[in-house]
Amino acid sequence: MLSLLIYGLIQSVILVLYAYGFSLVYGISGIANFAHGGIYILGGFMTWCFMNALGLPYFLSAIFSVILMGLLGFGLYWGLLLRIRGIVLSEVVVTFVAGIAILEILAWKGLYGFYYNLPVFVKGGISLGDVAIDYQRLFALGSGIALAGLLWAFVHHTRMGLSFRGIAQDERTALSLGIESDWVGALSLAIGSSLAAVAAILVLPLGVLEANIGYDVLIYAVTVAIVGGLESGFGMIAASLIIGFGQIAVARYIGSSWMIIVPLGAIVLILAIRPSGLFGSFKELEERI
Amino acid sequence: MADNGGSYRKERVDRGIKARSDSVYAIASFRDLSYLLLPRFLPLLVAFILPLIVGDYWGKVLVYAAVFGILALSWDFLASCGLFSLGQALFFGIGAYLAGAFNYYLHWPIYATIPAASVGGALLCTALLAPVMRLRGVYFAMITLVLPMLFSRLIVATKVIGGSHGITNLTPLGSRWFTIYFALLALFVCLFVFRRIMAQDYGLVLSAIRDDDRAVMSAAINIFWRKVQALFIASGVGCFAGALMCHNYQFVGPSAFALDYSLMPLAATALGGPGSFVGAVLGSAVLVPLSEALRAFGGLRIAFYCLILMACIIVLPEGIFHYMARKYHRFERMVKV
Amino acid sequence: MKKRFLLSALLLVAAGLAFSFPAQVLAGGKPIILGLPTAVNTDWGHDDINAVNLAVEEINAKGGVSVGGVKRPFKVQITDTRGMDPATPAHDALMAVEKLILQKDPHAIVVGFARSEIFMAGMDLIAKHKIPYLGSYATTHMFQKQFAKDPAKYKYLFRLSVDAIAAAKAVTDAIDTLKRQHGLQRVFFMPQDTLLSKGFNGVLKRHCENTGWQVVGWESIASDASDFSAVLTKVKESDAQMICTFWDVARGGTILLKQWSSMQVPALFVGFVVGANSPRGWEFMGEEIEYSIYTEAPIGSGIPLKKLPKTRKFVEKFIEKFGKPHGQWLTGAAYDSIYVLAQAIERAGCLDPDKVVAEVEKTDYDGVIGRIRFDDTHQVVYGTDPKESALCLAYQWQDGKQVPIYPPAVAEGKVRLPPWMKK
Repeated sequence: MLSLLIYGLIQSVILVLYAYGFSLVYGISGIANFAHGGIYILGGFMTWCFMNALGLPYFLSAIFSVILMGLLGFGLYWGLLLRIRGIVLSEVVVTFVAGIAILEILAWKGLYGFYYNLPVFVKGGISLGDVAIDYQRLFALGSGIALAGLLWAFVHHTRMGLSFRGIAQDERTALSLGIESDWVGALSLAIGSSLAAVAAILVLPLGVLEANIGYDVLIYAVTVAIVGGLESGFGMIAASLIIGFGQIAVARYIGSSWMIIVPLGAIVLILAIRPSGLFGSFKELEERI
Repeated sequence: MADNGGSYRKERVDRGIKARSDSVYAIASFRDLSYLLLPRFLPLLVAFILPLIVGDYWGKVLVYAAVFGILALSWDFLASCGLFSLGQALFFGIGAYLAGAFNYYLHWPIYATIPAASVGGALLCTALLAPVMRLRGVYFAMITLVLPMLFSRLIVATKVIGGSHGITNLTPLGSRWFTIYFALLALFVCLFVFRRIMAQDYGLVLSAIRDDDRAVMSAAINIFWRKVQALFIASGVGCFAGALMCHNYQFVGPSAFALDYSLMPLAATALGGPGSFVGAVLGSAVLVPLSEALRAFGGLRIAFYCLILMACIIVLPEGIFHYMARKYHRFERMVKV
Repeated sequence: MKKRFLLSALLLVAAGLAFSFPAQVLAGGKPIILGLPTAVNTDWGHDDINAVNLAVEEINAKGGVSVGGVKRPFKVQITDTRGMDPATPAHDALMAVEKLILQKDPHAIVVGFARSEIFMAGMDLIAKHKIPYLGSYATTHMFQKQFAKDPAKYKYLFRLSVDAIAAAKAVTDAIDTLKRQHGLQRVFFMPQDTLLSKGFNGVLKRHCENTGWQVVGWESIASDASDFSAVLTKVKESDAQMICTFWDVARGGTILLKQWSSMQVPALFVGFVVGANSPRGWEFMGEEIEYSIYTEAPIGSGIPLKKLPKTRKFVEKFIEKFGKPHGQWLTGAAYDSIYVLAQAIERAGCLDPDKVVAEVEKTDYDGVIGRIRFDDTHQVVYGTDPKESALCLAYQWQDGKQVPIYPPAVAEGKVRLPPWMKK
């Protein structure tokens, strides 16, 4: 029972980390950044490169790759999305395709198999009763929670965060108040990409660095965002808790092959019952017909 | 605009022959008639002759191109209705699996499995996606993106219909000639039917929904029902493509939900020109042989489609077909301001 | 400036082309074309290509293969099937092979298909084109079943790699030792959800049941699983002392080992976990793999066996030239397949597929993997005596090295129990 609780919590936090960059970007700037999976893996890969090819210490590599991914996000907006801003569906396609291009190029270069590994921060672990947890997972857990808190404070209490929300609520009004939507959009994409890189650094040491993981990250991010409601922070956390615990419970009591059924089932159910998500407030999206 | 002597602007003027052949008097002149008919008949002629002259291997590529063309047509039809699907692979995979299951477990011949898979698949996909019809914007794209990936993992996890191994040894489509000509025929029939639909009032309502759905709502038309119908038609066609491919390769596995099948129709249509169904066919006819020729690059092909897609969306949004049509119908000249 | 740049670029390209022109072609005699379809961008693809190239170079250095009196060199044509990528549509891989056959006109195909689903579909393709196929890759035992359905049609296909059953038998002795000498009793089976893995584990399970082990669990896990915490919790709770598995997907294998270590599950790994089961396993995984027992099937892939000089020389040569192979499998088989083919062609005296195939059937060659003879389902016979048959072995990681422990003909050490093992 304790193990179910602990591992469920860890899985949920991992899902939150995956979904964060994606939800944040969508909630703030209305851009669904489908390159999220690609940027996640690229962030991890950059860290690996800095560490192994340039020999930098772990901490420094992590910081550099987070900054680099932020710059990439910014560049993605300014270079590609700026020209098609407003055509929502083109934005989706372009980001989706950019993510796939990144992943496929990495896979072609050989990001495959088990050589590429990010080391854990601290080896070893603790034991809570019968359950052993390693420090890396605890660190991910703590960081996930801390990050959630930080971002909430940022979005609700700093000027920049408030201007982000302004753009999300009503772009024209925000423009008339002097908040430049392009700049804000680019910044939000930059922050989302940095978050993806942070998630990569926290979660990848638990497994292996492979290009195909990017697709899974994207699926989970989209699932959590849809189930929770695209622009709601609470919704994202609630959804990841539901899906995370659901997956661990299913793995424990039914069989680990069925873990993937949980996100699928969640999406189907949400669409049937409450299409805009559990805490989604885009009510004007539904029942328009 | 500056008023000085060196300022020019580009002017596009319809060609004389287009102006003449736009009216009913076209049938009076053989020249006008051929101006209109040649671009329509030439590809048909080429498509008819090509299988006769290419070898075995490129014959298979032709079938492949035709199937992808059908998938791209289905995408274009959805796009004409305002529904952008990022998951053609869903239709493709469901069609392929249904056809394979009917053939393998119930031993139906291909005359039964292909129609059954098309209609059954259409029903299934519509049921799956109907709730999303009520939402606007990016939701449809997101759902269609995620569903094929989830379905393939579902099949592997539950081990139904062959699990990760898939089912082999299904009934083939018949002789090589039959396969190629059937696929090409299906492609052109779909093309023709879709173009006719969009030219009728029914299609007019669909494109109005794409342009401004509130306006259509205010005309007391049930746009939810219309969108569902459009989805039914498009997914039926997509499932047909999947069923065709399944019998062509006598095999179906979780790879039927691969990302390739979602990306390629998108890239083909973006390249060829969205909105006009011919663009979808044109794009497939260009991209599929190209990707076969680039086989040496392995996984980089997908990155290549992605780059083409990005370039087309950003730089050439009208696509090749519209560009060609524009050149064919109009000429440009610089005119002094 | 621009012109000079262009000129030097052209010269460089021309030079590059000239140097890449294969020397074998200039050696006289039309080359014998070997088609090599494989997943080029994977470790085993790389290793197998290297092994084949090594054999081809050695043979060509002696002038080539004597075909009816004329010496002709081998030439390898590689094509990338992307076969191991789970997202690749299967027909994509088949098309790649068909393109290779139709355009390069190979006289034989080596290494061959990877994924079982592609292999099964590919068997028909090869039989249709009547090309001798010496597969050293796929390990599914469906091959023999399919072959038996129509031997005359499938006679062109041969397999040098081993299937799951033979590989499992190599491990059973280690399991026996663990019980007899160290008194372990409880075993948990964790197969991957593939035919191969379940076959492998099935053999081990029957053996364990017959020798008095207590089977405390059997849980089959999906190949693309990325979280094993639930299963490992069950292992801990059932107090298992040994975990039997066969895991060949890199991602899952790494995560499994990492979670096993971080959850501190006191059970020994036996079987096959990719990544740990590699000459580079220590580099990749670290000291967590110490004491686990894996199989090398067939031999000649990474462990230089002291008791078999031919195998040892091949492995040492390979390591010297290409570095340690990344995978632990099939390089030896790929290398041997070229020699088997060369000898069959020489005996047949021509390149006619039917005659070559008839000669391959009569092969009795002392190769890197042991003594190579084919049974009537065109599968190499595996056993425990390298003088009689080809060989699989079981080894244990001890002090950062792979120490073979079974069969006795190649053993260099004994099974050791880790200190953290509860009795």
